[in-house]
Amino acid sequence: MTGSPASAGPWPRAQRGEAERSPGEVHVFADYHGELRDAADVVVVGSGPCGAVVAKELAEAGRSVVLLEEGPPFTPEDFVLDGALSMARTMREAGLRTTRGHVMPTMQAIALGGGSLVNSAICVRPPAFVFDAWATQFELSHTSRADLDPHFDAVEAFLGIAPTPDAVQGRRNLLFREGCATLGIESEPIARNVRGCRGSGECFTGCRARAKQSMDLSYVPAAIRAGARVYTSLRVEGLLHSGRRVTGVRGRVVAPFSGAPGPALTVEAKAVVLAAGCMATPLLLFASGLANSSGQVGRNLQFHPGVAVMGVFPDRVDPQFGATQGMQSLHFLREGFKLETLWAPPAVLAVRLPGAGLALKERLAEIPFASIVDAIASCHRSLGSVRPRRRGSLDPVLSWRPHPDDLPVLGHALEVIVDVLFAAGARKVLPGVHGLPDEMVPGDSALLRGRSYRPTDFVMAANHAFCTTRMHGDPRQGVVDEWGRCHDLDNLYLADTGVFPRCTSVNPMFTGMALAHRTAQHLHDRL
Amino acid sequence: MRSLGYVAEVQITVGFALGLALSLGLGWRVFAGYPRPAAPVKGLSRREAALVAAAAEALFPRGGAVPPSGLDAGVPAWCGRWLEALPAGTRLLVRCLFALVEHATLLFPAPGWDGFRRFSAQGPERRGQVLEGWRTSRWFLRRLVFTSLRAIVTQGYFADAAVLRALRLAPLAIVPPVTAADALYPPIGQPRSRVRFRADQVEVRGPLDRPPAGAPLDLASPLHPDYRERVA
Repeated sequence: MTGSPASAGPWPRAQRGEAERSPGEVHVFADYHGELRDAADVVVVGSGPCGAVVAKELAEAGRSVVLLEEGPPFTPEDFVLDGALSMARTMREAGLRTTRGHVMPTMQAIALGGGSLVNSAICVRPPAFVFDAWATQFELSHTSRADLDPHFDAVEAFLGIAPTPDAVQGRRNLLFREGCATLGIESEPIARNVRGCRGSGECFTGCRARAKQSMDLSYVPAAIRAGARVYTSLRVEGLLHSGRRVTGVRGRVVAPFSGAPGPALTVEAKAVVLAAGCMATPLLLFASGLANSSGQVGRNLQFHPGVAVMGVFPDRVDPQFGATQGMQSLHFLREGFKLETLWAPPAVLAVRLPGAGLALKERLAEIPFASIVDAIASCHRSLGSVRPRRRGSLDPVLSWRPHPDDLPVLGHALEVIVDVLFAAGARKVLPGVHGLPDEMVPGDSALLRGRSYRPTDFVMAANHAFCTTRMHGDPRQGVVDEWGRCHDLDNLYLADTGVFPRCTSVNPMFTGMALAHRTAQHLHDRL
Repeated sequence: MRSLGYVAEVQITVGFALGLALSLGLGWRVFAGYPRPAAPVKGLSRREAALVAAAAEALFPRGGAVPPSGLDAGVPAWCGRWLEALPAGTRLLVRCLFALVEHATLLFPAPGWDGFRRFSAQGPERRGQVLEGWRTSRWFLRRLVFTSLRAIVTQGYFADAAVLRALRLAPLAIVPPVTAADALYPPIGQPRSRVRFRADQVEVRGPLDRPPAGAPLDLASPLHPDYRERVA
């Protein structure tokens, strides 16, 4: 297949009228039969929350857009309910990716829509102090909360982001609210990109109720309606360039799940937007030998490591019902952590239960009586890196170690979670921390006060990752400027969480989308 | 000089014999003596199947608060299917994990004079003691190995419908509403000609991208067909 039948030519006029717009289309693996070539104003690499926003905004602005995605599109019949098999289909390395240094699981999705297909749809605007810290430390003068609010507003309006209503909170989430209220801790329903949520608690294996407005259901169809051409099952392997300008991308068809390579692909474009995620974008830059005069590509990797505690209540909670993550507390954000409720496939939760044999089964039987609360910590002192496994490889080696000064934050978060669960009426909690009792009852909270921890005491996981191609006002210290444009190249833009100069302290998807929205506007103005 | 040569010859012979015996012993430990399973487990070698079955039995014995055992739940068969779904490099790491657990009793033996026997050859009670040793070890890497093994076995256990039904955690039936995306994407592996809906069908059913609100699910909702109890 050569070219695209939907393309009106290699360089369609910008600012096409509504009547001139022809709808785009989706290409899937089974339709590829030979080498692929296409051309567009802009090629966007990655259809996750940031790439999808860029594609839709530019297509609606009249630009010719090609959107490339390595994963396949998932329909409801493609979802599997078995948590591990679901991860094997939707996650890179089957969901078993970990960091080196300190071994910590971290998951990155591979699907049309990226992480939005399998995340819990949390959309939180970071408070102003987060952006103030960015501005001060990274020489940014146009990235305050006020600067970004119009972009947050635009994304919020399109996706219908709204606080989770009580009707679908379920008792599990409401117990958290009760516990926080008892202790005088502020809490609030989580704003999410969902419409018509039924509280199935299945966000992590794909929303069968089609309520979650993941990118494959929202921004990508909108981009297609505006004329974007979407190629799935295509892995971009490098950038084409000439001097200070990129001229397109090259890559290859890959089979869904197996990754078996197929025909080659070339897309020529006036501008390239890399939105492949904070792990993959640096590898593409390394493979292409571009954009690294600062030496910052792949460095500064940050996470929001999370710790979770299960509380067991006297009465049934039926925790499988209700929004996967419906309530949160930003009360301790300045101290470095955010609290949120959590549900996951029961098998995933059961992994952390102590014991074996019949004693373990007794604990399994307590899951219907349980509520889980987790904390994500702003560990901005704990830095790591992303490097290719070998020269030119797109397989990452992730290195990361928690900084000793970040550990007390996790310890404090653990203490607060335990207090909240007991205040909500839990008869016992299972902290899941090495060195602590397997089970704690209300009088045991004192064990946590003033306790110091080693990194290996916690069973941490972190799916929020940032900063590997950070923005900085000084080209010697950052990879991109405030609008996502690479300092080293005139027409290469980055739009994913890698451009964050520091972690957001809250769930990053919404911030990434707001920045991507701004990047799209900037790019459109410059084309 | 001659006697020194004789001593060296004896030492070499004894060393060779010991090396041979050690190799044979290790070879037997790694490869031999595994019982033939009633049916081969697709995706697992006989040795791996024995290890997974032994771990499943130790972690989830029959009876108790959730009646099915790890073997009743078909953990080894699930594990084989899961391994086949992994990328080759990850699959190799999991196989190494299985081999490590099976033979780490050489370094961390079970209680008793024969505690050095491989994990799957230990009795159920001793297997539990071995696993508890890994879980509570002061060495992070040992705890990590335990967590990894248990994660795999637990996922397999919870993949069984009877286990989820016993806990009343089985997935419910949900009829997905049709959205604009359903006129765009075919099921994975199918060409675009297999997209289930035409654009005009989607528009008839509701505004683009806005699935209708549904009633919150609860225990009274019907189970997903795959998780309903089979009646003979």
